[in-house]
Amino acid sequence: MAEIRFEKVCKFFGSNKVIENLDLTIQDGKFTVLVGASGCGKTTLLRMIAGIGPATSGHVYMDDKDITDMDPGKRDIAMVFQNYAIYPTMTVKENIEFGLKNRKVPKAERERLISEYAAVVGLTEYLDRKPGTLSGGQRQRIALARAMVKKPKVFLMDEPLSNLDAKLRVAMRTELIEMHNRLKTTFIYVTHDQVEAMAMADQIVLMNKGQIMQEASPEVIYRDPNNVFTAQFIGTPPMNVLDYTECQVGFRPEKVHISRESHDAAFARTGKVLTREMLGSETQYKVLLDGVETPIMVKTADDSYVFEDNVVLSVEEEDLYFFNNEGARIRKGDVADFDKYIRIAGGKNNA
Amino acid sequence: MLNNTVTQSNLRRRIKLRSYLTSYVMILPAIIFLLIFTIYPMGKLIQLSLWQGNAANAYKKFQGLENYRQILTVRREFKNALINTGVYTAAIVVLLISFSVIFAVWMQKDRKINNLAQSAFFVPHLVASVSCAFIWSWIFSTDTSGLMNAFLKLFGVPARNWLGSSKTAMICIIVMNTWKSIGYYALIILSALKSIPAEIYEAARLDGSHNSKTFLKITLPMLSPQLFMLLITITTGSFKVFDSIRIMTNGGPGTSTQVLCMFIYEFAFNRPNSLGLACAGGVMLMLILILITLFDFKSLEKKVHYQ
Repeated sequence: MAEIRFEKVCKFFGSNKVIENLDLTIQDGKFTVLVGASGCGKTTLLRMIAGIGPATSGHVYMDDKDITDMDPGKRDIAMVFQNYAIYPTMTVKENIEFGLKNRKVPKAERERLISEYAAVVGLTEYLDRKPGTLSGGQRQRIALARAMVKKPKVFLMDEPLSNLDAKLRVAMRTELIEMHNRLKTTFIYVTHDQVEAMAMADQIVLMNKGQIMQEASPEVIYRDPNNVFTAQFIGTPPMNVLDYTECQVGFRPEKVHISRESHDAAFARTGKVLTREMLGSETQYKVLLDGVETPIMVKTADDSYVFEDNVVLSVEEEDLYFFNNEGARIRKGDVADFDKYIRIAGGKNNA
Repeated sequence: MLNNTVTQSNLRRRIKLRSYLTSYVMILPAIIFLLIFTIYPMGKLIQLSLWQGNAANAYKKFQGLENYRQILTVRREFKNALINTGVYTAAIVVLLISFSVIFAVWMQKDRKINNLAQSAFFVPHLVASVSCAFIWSWIFSTDTSGLMNAFLKLFGVPARNWLGSSKTAMICIIVMNTWKSIGYYALIILSALKSIPAEIYEAARLDGSHNSKTFLKITLPMLSPQLFMLLITITTGSFKVFDSIRIMTNGGPGTSTQVLCMFIYEFAFNRPNSLGLACAGGVMLMLILILITLFDFKSLEKKVHYQ
């Protein structure tokens, strides 16, 4: 169990600035997910914690101890790599044992730990096999066992599920959540998949171009985004955002009410159905509003509309989000005349 | 209905036969070449080893196994050549494998100087071994062109007749052949080194493994297929060494650098009526190489890691 704190860290690859003056605290015992598009610096942060890609400047602390320049092997940290990075020339057992041997754990203790954790990940019968003879899911489990057996204070995972097929990925997702509940150590998980982030995290750190866009629980990130980037990154399909001269107005596809008759709401517009995707329990429509260029995504349980149907889309006042033209959120208390924005969204200010 | 199944199974058999024949026709050219240029000469070699004769008249007198008895028990030349070849091969195998690994590790990092070093090491491999032998004959020479002696003179070391002394001649040949081949083998190891994913080394660092341990437990096992290949090719290649020795010492001084191929050459073309002895030596060389290769495979195959 440990808290990780970054203090004014910078990272340059050559002259390419990846991270600049970043401060971040990762809470002890939480499942924290660093999420963002590729190249946003999330893996770079993870590698700084591991000590395999040191920061160009700044400090990394673990429980108030400066670990910026500490040897990776002495950090009490375990990492699961995207391609697993298991040792192909060693058997499953030797893979799990390697770190213990380097720490000079006595043989009897090693044997006990190996059989314990092999059982946890379900690899007991494969201990003498070489990784090459095992499936992707099983190799993933070797990597997990190798990490767990060291009983680290912090678990780092760099997109560990991205090489698995869709079904196994969902299964492993719940297993990792269970694992965290059982171990109660600090988990730091890197992914580019917002669904994975929402599903697993206690705390999400959303990054873009080396900067933290928002740091909050999944619920807050989803319901109360700080900016347009966060609003559009989280959620499938992403939040609809319309540009007005004074501000930007956003609303989630699942909060849009679709009907044939006009409906009284803060936002109400007529339009035509452009596409329809029936997904089972819900249906996704792409609707082109009259006089608006950006198509609007709608997600609803009602599957009765078809191509070219005339529809009315309406959104309640509490489901509208406002952002200034730089993309930052405008909340109710932020400005004196908040109602102005509601009028803009309803098209009443322009008229 | 019944008729139908009969013809069907007939048809299937014919298709099978045809694909069987096709596959053999495909490899026929290779088989023909193998038969003409490898199997037939090998048979001829074994046949000749049972006769006494010379290059003009190979089958003068049938000897049975007498030639083998001669080279194995009576004539000292064969045993001497075998020992020299063994010493040479052992030294070359150890030096080449260890130095190519060391050089490859050294050149692994992407630096400009390493690209230069890579080509510098590789160039000798492109030079004909006869030319290399001449270059090194000059280097080791006792007259004014002898670089080695000139260099040692700077440190006050007295000049030596490197190739003319039975103590140092073999060492000179070993040095020259190591120099010639190191770049080629280092390149093979280097490409293998570069194919090891960086994450494996990072995982090892997180597992608390230090450089020497990582090298022994991770790098070397991952290089094992290439090391094994090197072992086999260098061993077989060194047992057949000829041209460099022919140029540099011609087996001398005395018989101190006489190797198996020189023995074969000497008895086949320079001595009267001893072609059979040379052929018996050739058969022995072949047998030795087969045995060594089999031994390598049997004893080391389990330790070699294939992906």
